[in-house]
Amino acid sequence: MILASIKLKNFRIHENVELKFAGNLNYIVGGNGQGKTSILESIYYLCTTKSLDAKTDSEVVRFGKEKFEIRGEFIGLTEDEVRVIYDKIEMKKFYLLNEKQLRKSSDVIGRFPVVMLTPADHAVTQGLPGQRRKFVDSVISQASNIYLENLLDYNRTLKQRSSLLGKMREYRSTEMMNEFDAWTEKLIETGTELIERRIKFIDEFSLYVSESYYRIMNKKEQPSIGYFYLNGFKNLKVKEHFTKLLKEKKEDEFRRAANLVGPHKDDFIFTINDVNLKTYGSQGQHKTFQAVLRFAEFFYLKDITSKTPLFLLDDVFGELDAARAHKISDYLKEVGQAFVTLTDFGNFSFLKKDRDDYLIKLNGGKVVYA
Amino acid sequence: MQIAEPLAVAIEELSKLPSIGKKTAQRLALFILKMDDDRVDNLLKSIKELKTKLKSCSRCNNLSEDELCEVCKSTKRDKSIICVVEEASDVIAIEKTHEFSGLYHVLGGVLSPLTGITPDSLKIKELLKRFEKENIKEVILALNPDTEGETTSLYLAKLIKPLNMKVTRIARGLPVGGDLEFADEATIGRAMINRLSI
Repeated sequence: MILASIKLKNFRIHENVELKFAGNLNYIVGGNGQGKTSILESIYYLCTTKSLDAKTDSEVVRFGKEKFEIRGEFIGLTEDEVRVIYDKIEMKKFYLLNEKQLRKSSDVIGRFPVVMLTPADHAVTQGLPGQRRKFVDSVISQASNIYLENLLDYNRTLKQRSSLLGKMREYRSTEMMNEFDAWTEKLIETGTELIERRIKFIDEFSLYVSESYYRIMNKKEQPSIGYFYLNGFKNLKVKEHFTKLLKEKKEDEFRRAANLVGPHKDDFIFTINDVNLKTYGSQGQHKTFQAVLRFAEFFYLKDITSKTPLFLLDDVFGELDAARAHKISDYLKEVGQAFVTLTDFGNFSFLKKDRDDYLIKLNGGKVVYA
Repeated sequence: MQIAEPLAVAIEELSKLPSIGKKTAQRLALFILKMDDDRVDNLLKSIKELKTKLKSCSRCNNLSEDELCEVCKSTKRDKSIICVVEEASDVIAIEKTHEFSGLYHVLGGVLSPLTGITPDSLKIKELLKRFEKENIKEVILALNPDTEGETTSLYLAKLIKPLNMKVTRIARGLPVGGDLEFADEATIGRAMINRLSI
């Protein structure tokens, strides 16, 4: 599946622009503020209904306008037209596939899989555990609809349970204790399913990470991902342990009126030769690992879903040394369709534009294919 | 734009109804304006009577014209089975199937601490009282399969199990007559997990 073209109306800086894409590499080149990243963002919208870093939709509407529209034409086994329209006044968003409205985001996610590497990925390896959970959740969700629905179910349970805990801080009746037990049982049911799926995922995904690491770095170093769940539990009897921990932390939960145990506290630990990346990694190692994770995500989704995801790379070559950038550029040739933003093509002598690749220059709202 | 006040008020009131937007409300208001007086009176009367003639069944909380609803009054129903549902509309949905001949109990909602719905605000005490007074042997929990519905089922199951009654939850799975290939992945996945032996 490839994205053949997009049309943007009042989407950030783009008042009215139409772009055609190559089935291989598309280099999108322009100075600061020419709207390179917005192009990638609009593609991300087409595939997920959302902006990448969950900015509000109204922020994306061009200044002084009421609504934006993105129109994309996908060509795979069939030709599909996707339209995303957001109306700032009515605060309504519409996602139309071949003019038919899809209402649930779980009906959209995974249909046109997408992988995006951006400078904001620094949060995945350097930021808080929540950022790593978000990464893992987004990969599994694109591969499994059941996981996504279960995740939404779990998050809803967390909200309800913490609201009840808040009320129980005032006083606790037997009736409330019974209700609390029911929410706890629901938490264990959905939480256990999440943890078991994450264990299985990390197991499979590690192979993809190793492979991508060898391709971008070398075989001398061994990367790995550890999964930290239920306070460092290692056994596979997840449900029993989850139940036991909740019992132990019960009084703590009442006192602090918060959910203290469960997969919303999980973390993932990246290591290179058993050395913790977050604590000891250099800036270069972090950058490389972020790229490795996205390449691994790409090939994992491709194998699992049998669909080739779109690969979006936002301004990633600037911060890598030439050797690394060169390898990534070579690796990209195996990907399929990719979209790469650059400030200036000439600065990156290692980039080779094949005959079929597109070099798209953005300048003051004008589009030039070079 | 200036609209005559009675029309503006009618549009405003109609658009408060579920799934009626401003445009539909306007169409309805203009349509009513063109209707014969008799038909308008009939419409008004039927709406008024909804409020004056219908009440909740004193036993099961289903919608009813009398003290007891049609189901509770009937002599043909199996009085040893109770099906617990969220709303009266669910009773209508199950009745249409003609597959259930027991009694109902309408909870009037599901547990939701976020919106302040506690066991007290649902007809749960009334349900437990029925177990004392009536000769119930089986309870079917037919709540919606969402987060709140499932948790309410867990809550009720915990209360009912010690009373030595059979408790079941309705199955989740594929729609009948639907092709497997057209069902969404989550539904097929759930049906796989909750598969039955034959």
